[in-house]
Amino acid sequence: MSTPEAWRDAFKEAGALAVTRPDPAKSGLALSAHMPAGSLVAAAEKLKAGGFSLLFITTADFTEGFLVTYVFDSFTEHLRMALRVLVKDKSCPEVPSLAHVYQGAEWHERESYDFYGVIFTGNPNLVPILLPGDDPIPPPHRKGPDVIASIRKLGFLGEAEWASDGWELAPAPPETKPAAGAKPAAEKPAAGAKPEAKPETEKPAAGAKPEAKPEAEKTAAGAKPAEAGKEEGK
Amino acid sequence: MSNFSFLNPFGVLDEPGTYMGDFYSHNFSKKAKEGTVILNLGPQHPSTHGVLRVLVELYGEYVMRSEPVLGYLHRSHEKMAEHKTAYGFLPNMGRVDYLNAIGWNWAYAASCEQLAGIQVPERAEYLRVISAELNRISSHLVWWGAFVLDLGAFTPILYAFDDREDLCDILQRVTGSRLTMNYFRFGGVGADGDERFFRLIREFIPRMRERLKMYRALVTDNVILRRRLEGIGSMDADMCLRYGATGPILRAAGVRRDVRKAIPYGIYDRFDYEIPVADRCDNFGRYWVRVEEIEQSLRIVEQAVAQIPEGKHIVDKAPKPAWKIPAGESVFSVEGARGEISVHVISDGGKSPYRVKLRAPGFSNLALFAEAAEGTLLADAIATLGSLDLVIPEIDR
Repeated sequence: MSTPEAWRDAFKEAGALAVTRPDPAKSGLALSAHMPAGSLVAAAEKLKAGGFSLLFITTADFTEGFLVTYVFDSFTEHLRMALRVLVKDKSCPEVPSLAHVYQGAEWHERESYDFYGVIFTGNPNLVPILLPGDDPIPPPHRKGPDVIASIRKLGFLGEAEWASDGWELAPAPPETKPAAGAKPAAEKPAAGAKPEAKPETEKPAAGAKPEAKPEAEKTAAGAKPAEAGKEEGK
Repeated sequence: MSNFSFLNPFGVLDEPGTYMGDFYSHNFSKKAKEGTVILNLGPQHPSTHGVLRVLVELYGEYVMRSEPVLGYLHRSHEKMAEHKTAYGFLPNMGRVDYLNAIGWNWAYAASCEQLAGIQVPERAEYLRVISAELNRISSHLVWWGAFVLDLGAFTPILYAFDDREDLCDILQRVTGSRLTMNYFRFGGVGADGDERFFRLIREFIPRMRERLKMYRALVTDNVILRRRLEGIGSMDADMCLRYGATGPILRAAGVRRDVRKAIPYGIYDRFDYEIPVADRCDNFGRYWVRVEEIEQSLRIVEQAVAQIPEGKHIVDKAPKPAWKIPAGESVFSVEGARGEISVHVISDGGKSPYRVKLRAPGFSNLALFAEAAEGTLLADAIATLGSLDLVIPEIDR
């Protein structure tokens, strides 16, 4: 089981919300599976049985919630893949821990706990790792719609190969149309992007992009897409 | 101290001020068994290579349990990236891991180049390989000297620093600095190598080969060193997989994984070199792999210096300091001296990267120490710690 297609089916079986295929030449990722928090451990167990190792865990703050990304690679053959969990509740972000599958996850999870306050339930020693142990966790976050980006607007997740009905990071209906905002850079249409997906769904992403460029206008202009993002979320 | 108990030597309450020691020693002592002693190694102990602190629970001379405590050198590089321009963050890369600055230079520059689709000129690719391999040799030399110093042999580190001095002179010709090198630019490298640069390298290679023979006779074949290393600190392939350990630790566990071969980046596929692999899984295996890697890096540098074409060292219209990374996400891995360095960049197209994650190989490598050191003698645990080739700034970032 070493092809992205085989893994797409494996993640689907493990309960993925969606499986996307970012452009490997640009992102360095062959596959990205979006898991509900409850199915994360099942997917990680499959990866471990397949001889994959957990390279790192990274969390990023978006308007939709905290996006926790787990990057895996195989030591025997190169296939870099990501599992992602979107934690919507920022006041009490909870994700199951992978520390009993990959012992190395314990430290990476503690690092995300330090800086984002993500609580990894089941981590055997969830105390700060890089910040002082008795400091308040987490430290202050980025605030305001002008500095927090929206996953949907950025659209870096790539084209959805398959998406369930519950997946809301793509406004386009699953199966019929690939994910919206699949390729964000409007000036450079990616070679792999399907043209019929572009016209309707791409436009908001393309429109949102120039706003990020002039720094002075960023505050004013940036507020709009964030609000728009909230509406879409509802 | 009438209420002193071995079960809970630091007190009973969790509130700060009510227990002895600090948060971490208190947290660690909660699981302590009767009759054991809890000891802090570091953060100022020389054998912890900087400011690593390791809490150990000792039963006599044996380590029952241990827990590294990190964060004494945390400088928030990832947060700095969110405030600097993409270009302005380049100098930080020389400071993440001071022994392998070029490796980090490469990982970050290539991650951004991958996302923006920037091609690097031929000559720059060669200069990148030459500087990265020379930096790998200098990193391994410092490790070699410091590791043997941990084991009680003082002289070898003086030889190692003598050789490293030559490497610093060479790299200074092109990078302008001897330690925190900031050589890579988006689309190439900062400066072209001149005649003197290449002459110094051609002189260095045969000299280093002679020195390696001497090191073998003086240190590698030394019976005391062998007794201290052989069969101690077992880390097998399964353990490396569970912890995500990479680099010489993984290769000493019999896994032929080197990013230069597995995911050939740059022009590494053009050179003829071996990946040293040992299946001993012990401290000596890790020692042997690194010493062999010095020889293999010399082979790569020798070929690169012979093959380097004329041309530009940086692409025309290379990104300017105010350059913005196009929106998107990118992961790029390179083989650093300590293992797989990955840089994960998320950009919203703004003037600064939106989120940068630095995957330090030392972080994952150190995570496996607690399991490897369990049940060994304290002196052997120190040898095992040294065999991991730790650079604390890289772990803490």
